[in-house]
Amino acid sequence: MSAIVTIQDVVKEYSLGATVVQALRGVNLTVDKGEFISIAGPSGSGKTTLLNLIGCVDTATRGVVEVAGQNTAKMSERELTNLRLNTIGFIFQSFNLVSVLTVFQNVEFPLLLQNKLSAKDRKERVEGLLEQVGLKTHLKHRPNELSGGQRQRVAIARALVTDPLIVLADEPTANLDSETGQAILDLMKSLNQKKGTTFIFSTHDHRVMRYANAVVRIADGKVTGRESPQDAVAHEMEGLDTRSTEVRAS
Amino acid sequence: MDRVVLLVRIAIRNLLASPINLLIGGLILLGTMVFVLLGGMLDSLNQSMQKSVVGSLAGHLQIYSAKSKDELALFGQMGNFPELPAINDFPKIQEALSKVENVKVVVPMGISAAIITSGNIVDGTLEKLRNLYKARDGQPGDPKLEGVPREELALRIASEIAHVRQIIKVLRGDVEKAMADMMNAKSVEPRNIEALQRVEQDAFWADFEKDPYTNLEFLENRIAPIVTDTSLVFLRYVGTDLDKFQKSFDRMRIVKGSPVPQGQRGFLIADLMHEDQMKLKTARRLDKIKDARANGRLIATDDELKRFVKENTHQTRELVLQLDGIKTAALVKTLQDALPSKKDSIDALLSELLATTDENFDQRFTQFYELVVPQVQLYRVKVGDMLTIKAFTKSGYIQNVNVRVYGTFAFTGLEKSPLAGATSLMDLMSFRELFGYLTSDKAEELKEIQRNTGARTVSRENAEDELFGDGAEVIAEATPGIIDPDAALAGTGRKLREEDLIRRVYTQQQLDDGVVLHAAVMLEDPTRMDETIERITQVSNEQGLGIQVVSWQKASGLLGQIINVFRALLFVAVGIIFIAAMLIMYLSVLMATLQRTQMFGTMRAIGAQRGLILSMVLVESLVLGLLFGGLGMLAGAGAISLIATQGIAAPNDVMYFFFSGPRLIPQLSTWPLVVALVIILVVTVGSTLLPALMAMRVSPLRAMQADE
Repeated sequence: MSAIVTIQDVVKEYSLGATVVQALRGVNLTVDKGEFISIAGPSGSGKTTLLNLIGCVDTATRGVVEVAGQNTAKMSERELTNLRLNTIGFIFQSFNLVSVLTVFQNVEFPLLLQNKLSAKDRKERVEGLLEQVGLKTHLKHRPNELSGGQRQRVAIARALVTDPLIVLADEPTANLDSETGQAILDLMKSLNQKKGTTFIFSTHDHRVMRYANAVVRIADGKVTGRESPQDAVAHEMEGLDTRSTEVRAS
Repeated sequence: MDRVVLLVRIAIRNLLASPINLLIGGLILLGTMVFVLLGGMLDSLNQSMQKSVVGSLAGHLQIYSAKSKDELALFGQMGNFPELPAINDFPKIQEALSKVENVKVVVPMGISAAIITSGNIVDGTLEKLRNLYKARDGQPGDPKLEGVPREELALRIASEIAHVRQIIKVLRGDVEKAMADMMNAKSVEPRNIEALQRVEQDAFWADFEKDPYTNLEFLENRIAPIVTDTSLVFLRYVGTDLDKFQKSFDRMRIVKGSPVPQGQRGFLIADLMHEDQMKLKTARRLDKIKDARANGRLIATDDELKRFVKENTHQTRELVLQLDGIKTAALVKTLQDALPSKKDSIDALLSELLATTDENFDQRFTQFYELVVPQVQLYRVKVGDMLTIKAFTKSGYIQNVNVRVYGTFAFTGLEKSPLAGATSLMDLMSFRELFGYLTSDKAEELKEIQRNTGARTVSRENAEDELFGDGAEVIAEATPGIIDPDAALAGTGRKLREEDLIRRVYTQQQLDDGVVLHAAVMLEDPTRMDETIERITQVSNEQGLGIQVVSWQKASGLLGQIINVFRALLFVAVGIIFIAAMLIMYLSVLMATLQRTQMFGTMRAIGAQRGLILSMVLVESLVLGLLFGGLGMLAGAGAISLIATQGIAAPNDVMYFFFSGPRLIPQLSTWPLVVALVIILVVTVGSTLLPALMAMRVSPLRAMQADE
């Protein structure tokens, strides 16, 4: 399988006033096409920073980030935006739907930005996707008329509507109850299998990790290992980070 | 296209989400409506005022001497009358201007004001008496009295003497009143009282026949000056080429009398002036009551009308002064029958007639005009009268000119306007003479005198040498100005000269050839006014005409500026509304932007370019502005067409001029719509640009941060 994301010796520094904080300290990572990969680590370990670099919403201080074969360091703001539009789908922790648009319009939005399809084709595409996520009957609802799970399904449909190569999900189930969270992951997994779309998501929930092909561990801004979900869950069970699990389980 | 639809859709949805947008929209709607409505009304007002000013006096353009320090102000400026240097070479200017494209006609003018005296009642009565005696004694006098039998002359003489004695009685009453009032006592001269006492006695009248001419002279010299009735009227007038004026100002029409015959001297009085200032005050008040009643006002409830009635019943003096013995006796009888009344004094009967109420007004009005008016002189100056106009000439002494009144005139639609009806018209020749400018016939007269007397012209530089130098003979020792040309030309000679002047017909060349102060320029196409002003200025510079050109608006002085003042006020008022809208809009858009950073971040993350975010925020404001602005324009236009169905009635006579008639019909004009649109664009974009730029710079990273 060919690599869709390649990260070499990436350092990301933020300056907070006079002090410089290193969020990533020399990360190397390769993600292949069609993978369903989880990035795990405690809060502040650099998960989100890594996702931001892969998602081209941020750039590395040093090192190489290649997405779909393109070196993001050499791209302009406009090119990066186009790359995001055409290659990457985003699923956010707090869904981030446009509240004044309907379910249909939210999903249609990236297609309008692309400006490639006719109105008829867009309708077909959007309705097809909403059917897949089980919201065919909610086309005209506004986001505030939906439950959290339903909103995240809309967000998934929006992320997939442009047929991206990569879908990035930042703690996609963090704001959902465990049952809904599992349903969402089932959905993502089935889409991954059906369409072959690469999914990269961050989490610190071991139940979420189980769905992944592989779990990339990150701690203190460094990748500490890449393991199978079973090993990862075992690690979790050993008590590396159980607080949130307990909270969620209760 | 779909993207635009999406932007507009998002904009409308966002607008609906926030109630403050209703307030902003309301302000924009109000501002636009006021602007379109008042802008349109001002435009209509400007147009109708233009019609009034252009059509009544100014023409489209006015030219006057470039050397003038004062600005031309046809309808008066605060304070003084403008002092305009004379334009000496009018024919040259006229010729040059007539070649300028778009110039239709140039009408020469000279605006000025004068005081006219129309003689007093005593003068008139004594003159009549003198003519009657002359006719009786077979001396030449009033041709109308030739062939009247001696018996009738004697009867008429008796009647006039009764008239004079009636006047004296009225005067005596005045003096007694003045004496009773201690403050005024000093103002009554003892010699006047003496004179009055003398003529009051029957003895004076018993001996009157013995030497009527000497006694008449006493009355003329001693009694006539006491009568305060002498009518001095302040008169604004324009000296002009009357034919050209009437042809060019086509709203002008003759109300009473006839136009001045072509090329002749003459005077036309503004009809409103004639009615207001020269008509019997009693009659004028009755007219006004009649008008007011026609407009639904009642004597019983209206204070002004009550005052008019009171003044009419108390001020019968002006009527009684005019009645001679025969007329008095006849009128007493007529009124006794008509009212009916048993009173026997003419004063009491007139008071009773004029004590009008809402019930009897129409009847009394008719009775007054049918019974009283034929016995008196309704106007102090009538059509056909000779008018003596006095004015200060440029050299400072008072000049008199006698002109015949041919008629009165008004401008159609402006009959009631005091502004349009304040200026009378005089022929150009009389005007030049009055101002001491050399007229062509005076110039010839002067040459004739020079030839006859052998006088020669002495230039100022050589004067001293010529007059007082060695061997020079002293030609004359006289102070200029001491000789009054009118006194010199007294009696028959003067009369002959006057009659000659009245009949004289001047050629167009004579009319053109002489001094004018300013001139009206009529245009073929008034919309090209600015262009024509430029062209005329250019021609004047090239040919050294020495004139300056102003638009009707500038020429009308303060009056022309009124619209500009109104317009400025409108802009200030609307400006305040829009500035308020702009501030609120700025704050609200700023708030909305800060609240929506995550949305902008998300949009940026999923692939929206910065420009899209910028236009999203701008479109939101534009939609708000254009939507409510459009509604405001519709409301303004609707209001105008609603008002136009009825028109706005002129609230008073002064407004007749501004409305160019009794009603102003407002019309929707384009510029307020266009300007309103521009203002809306400026306000919306201006107030939104900063927040929109902020929104544009929101990083896509913002999408990744959880909502706080």
